Amino acid sequence: MADNERWLTAHHDPLAALYTFSSCMALADLHGDGEAKLIIADLGTGAYNMKLKVYKGTNLMSENTLIDLPTGVITFHMDTTEPRVPAVAVASGSYIYIYKNLRPYFKFTLPTLEVNPAEFDAWGQARDDLLDVSMLYEILDSLRQEVGECGLTTRSQRFLMCPDHTSQTAFLDQHKGFILKRQTVVTCVSTLKKSHSEDDAISCLVLGTESANIFILDPEAFTILNSMSLPSVPVFLSVTGLYDVEYRIIVACRNGQIYTLKRGTKIGRPTAELTSQPVGLIRRDKTVIVATMDHHLHSFNNKGKRLWCIKLPGAVLCLECLELRTLSLTLVALALADNRVLIYRDKHLVDTIHTEDRVSAMRFGRFGREDNTLVLVLKGGGLVVKILKRTARFDIQDADGPSQGQVVKLNIPKKTKLFVDQTMRERENCVLMHRVFQHDLYRLRLSTARSYVQALETSSNPISLSQTEPLKLSAQVLGLGPTFKLRVELQNTSPSCPSLHLAVIFHCDDRVYSVNKSYIQIPILVPGIIHVAETLLTCVSELGISDTVRVFVVKGKSSRPLLTAVINMPVAEVFMAA
Amino acid sequence: MDPLFLALSCFRRRKFDRCIKICTELLSKNPYDQAVWSLKTRALTEQVWVDECDGEEEGLADVLMDDNTIASVARPGTSLRTAPPSSAGGPSQTFRPSTQSGRPLSGVVRPGSQGGRPGTMDQALRTPRTAQTARPVSATSGRHVRLGTASMIQVGEGPFINLARLNVAKYAAQQNIAKALFEYIYFHENDVRHALDLAAQATQVLEFKDWWWKVQLGRCYYRLGLFRDAEKQFKSALKLQDNINTYLLLGRVYIRLDQPMAALEVYREGLDKFPGEVTLLTAMARIYEGLHDLPKAVKYYRDVLHYDATHVEAIACTATTHFYSDQPEVALRFYRRLLQMGIYNCEIFNNLGLCCFYAQQYDMTLTCFERALSLATDRSIADVWYNLGHVALGIGDINLAYQCFRLALVSDNDHGESYNNLGVLEYRRGNLETARAFFMTAANLSPHMFQPHYNHAKLAHKVGDLQTSFIIVQKALALFPEHVDSKELLKTLETHFHTL
Repeated sequence: MADNERWLTAHHDPLAALYTFSSCMALADLHGDGEAKLIIADLGTGAYNMKLKVYKGTNLMSENTLIDLPTGVITFHMDTTEPRVPAVAVASGSYIYIYKNLRPYFKFTLPTLEVNPAEFDAWGQARDDLLDVSMLYEILDSLRQEVGECGLTTRSQRFLMCPDHTSQTAFLDQHKGFILKRQTVVTCVSTLKKSHSEDDAISCLVLGTESANIFILDPEAFTILNSMSLPSVPVFLSVTGLYDVEYRIIVACRNGQIYTLKRGTKIGRPTAELTSQPVGLIRRDKTVIVATMDHHLHSFNNKGKRLWCIKLPGAVLCLECLELRTLSLTLVALALADNRVLIYRDKHLVDTIHTEDRVSAMRFGRFGREDNTLVLVLKGGGLVVKILKRTARFDIQDADGPSQGQVVKLNIPKKTKLFVDQTMRERENCVLMHRVFQHDLYRLRLSTARSYVQALETSSNPISLSQTEPLKLSAQVLGLGPTFKLRVELQNTSPSCPSLHLAVIFHCDDRVYSVNKSYIQIPILVPGIIHVAETLLTCVSELGISDTVRVFVVKGKSSRPLLTAVINMPVAEVFMAA
Repeated sequence: MDPLFLALSCFRRRKFDRCIKICTELLSKNPYDQAVWSLKTRALTEQVWVDECDGEEEGLADVLMDDNTIASVARPGTSLRTAPPSSAGGPSQTFRPSTQSGRPLSGVVRPGSQGGRPGTMDQALRTPRTAQTARPVSATSGRHVRLGTASMIQVGEGPFINLARLNVAKYAAQQNIAKALFEYIYFHENDVRHALDLAAQATQVLEFKDWWWKVQLGRCYYRLGLFRDAEKQFKSALKLQDNINTYLLLGRVYIRLDQPMAALEVYREGLDKFPGEVTLLTAMARIYEGLHDLPKAVKYYRDVLHYDATHVEAIACTATTHFYSDQPEVALRFYRRLLQMGIYNCEIFNNLGLCCFYAQQYDMTLTCFERALSLATDRSIADVWYNLGHVALGIGDINLAYQCFRLALVSDNDHGESYNNLGVLEYRRGNLETARAFFMTAANLSPHMFQPHYNHAKLAHKVGDLQTSFIIVQKALALFPEHVDSKELLKTLETHFHTL
């Protein structure tokens, strides 16, 4: 296979139990020993057990517990001390946690937002017991209608989610004493070199927030150097340049637009409009590559002009840029939902890696002492490390031949001679045939209507579509016998009105079968919900014969059943006479 | 007249009861008369004799607890158990309905053609068991007791031969009565263990040179589920003597081992020795049908008809193929032939009616259906009503169609197809909630059908429940990956999901 020619599997641990995304992975030399470590912010179960894990080679070197779900991990140099050791920044909730030497070092909190005055007043009055729980709920609910869910504080959002009065009261009692704050959360994080472009120069942090802002943080004092706003929530960031000279930030937003921010601008400039939601954004050279949810890969230049667009064979899960300095190449790796990783050079597919599961996160870079390493985290939690062979080349094969001819012959069935003959007969005797057919049709209608009426009169139908009780019955037999389980499913097919006082009765020959529960009371039948009534039925006949069992559905004390189903029982398993 | 001669004459005229009576009288006078004794054994055997080559069916337990299959994930086209290949040739699933196992409907109902092999325990316990199926669920052992043994027929004065006290070694040495005794034990008493004992000793006495005993040994092994041993015996018997029955039995062994290709090879060898042998040809055609290779199956059925123009199965299967490949007028010819041959039942008139309708011979259509209705049994009447419903749909009488489908449900409340069609009619009437319930029931009752899934997905799409529609249309595509409409729907839904 092609991937075996170019890639070596250095490590494969299907039981690593990692749950992470590309943004939460980083590769960096954390100890200045020339060996790059893999830093993964593990989302744990998605609710708890979040960990910051560091792998040295194939071994887990350290684990730090995280308090909230991580949204991004980044390594950067924050000072000029020797040895040059980068710090790790973990974005989580509305905080950035900075780790140095894998020890907690600093916590940066995002600035709070302005609280809606009406909301502030409401909570203030609730604290002073001027408002009771239901009134507070009403005020907040109407406020929600007005400004939308996002305009409220998290406390109000949580309060509005409380299902009943008691839990609302409890929530209010617990939280009313604290000051009301409206915080935002980090959605994406990146770095920007401050004044020098060396690899180990000091970098600023660039944060995108849920409040549709971009913040640039000073690496030493952790103050906001610059704040910019966008029309929508940023989801992917790509940063180039130097903060002190000139920089350019390209942002993909949740509204499917791409914006550009430059030094000196305060508001993002719309650059390109996508046809669908972005799933990844990469900048290479002077182009921006974006994968979208509608299985497309787009390439734009810095001005937002679309250079090319290709249709992909499947849904893209994540996107990673492979920068091969030795070959001076920049490739794009795309993980698809069909367990493949495709590697593109411009718009040409140059390699495919097959994995045994979907890839949920990828990171390419220096790992250990190997420069070109691709780290893959699989959907099932597995960890795969692949090393690019030094002999690998990614040449474009010009395989795009002309598309295949679209001349497909339609498969038109041939008509037999017999058919033609019969058509002749039909043509000659058309009047007679029509009369006979119509005559027969009337008779058939009559006999059908008779049987239908008879069936209705005896209620021997498994479905009833009457206005009062529209019901449907289906019965199944389970088991090998001699004990069977009869399973009766009752469903009310009316759009709105429930059925009451129903019961299921099983009727059979007591010489052949004995029924465990021959009468089952059915509770109120809500429309659309399937109610299952079950009973055990034992074949007591010594002859091993089978018989029919009738299932009736009756209402109240009525002597006529609403529905009837006849079950032809299967033959019970008879054991061989010893 | 000499009573022994009379008994022999009765035996030849297949009046077994009388023959047995005479023999019993003779034996009460002289219990050591071997001629009479052996005649009585044969008469008793003949009464309950079953052709094992044809009438065999795998019970549920055999299918599920089978550990003889070699490959659990067989390559397509080499196993009777794998799902249908999508491009197998012949009409697609849209036109030709499939059975519960996803196999195209065969022209005849024979053991195994209806249920097929279920994939999971749950499916096995559920699908074939809903009300009206003739499928046996028990193990083969239990089945044989019912099929053809006298074990349960009450005999006045105890059993004729007490097997427990039988001196097997003594009888094995006496070849003239050993064979009759073997068949008695095997068929009448259904005691495979004793039969095996007798066969083993008899073949030993004859220094392993008698093919008949080898075949019998093989049969016993087969019945006990020791397929590899049976295979050995049959092969060794074939070396001594070519026999059609042995070829058939060996083929069955391979089918049970799920090696249809090997079985075909055996039949082909048999055909080299016995060119034009109908039973071998039929067996091959059946295997091809099981492998979803309908064009080949039809070819073999045609060969069968070449040698035996009155072969019911071959005529019926060829007719079905013609019907589903858009040549109802040819199918009509075949079914008429069956009618001429004296088959006079509900199914044949039902099929004739359908053929007439689709071949535009309208004057005969409804007469045939009327006849079918009058001949119908409880089991088949549902299908007749269902087909009448189709005719009614064809002439645009929705009301009549509705009544017909409802009537189909009256006689068979597990008729998934009717539920599906009723759902479509309700959908057209605008009763979406009822239609939804019908589609769900149909999907539940007939897990092999893709139509209710597609219809349900369409309905969900129409009312705007895109999520449900998406989930359900995928189920339809899992059952029938080539279904164009489902694919289109899925595509529409996907565009819905990723447009902004």
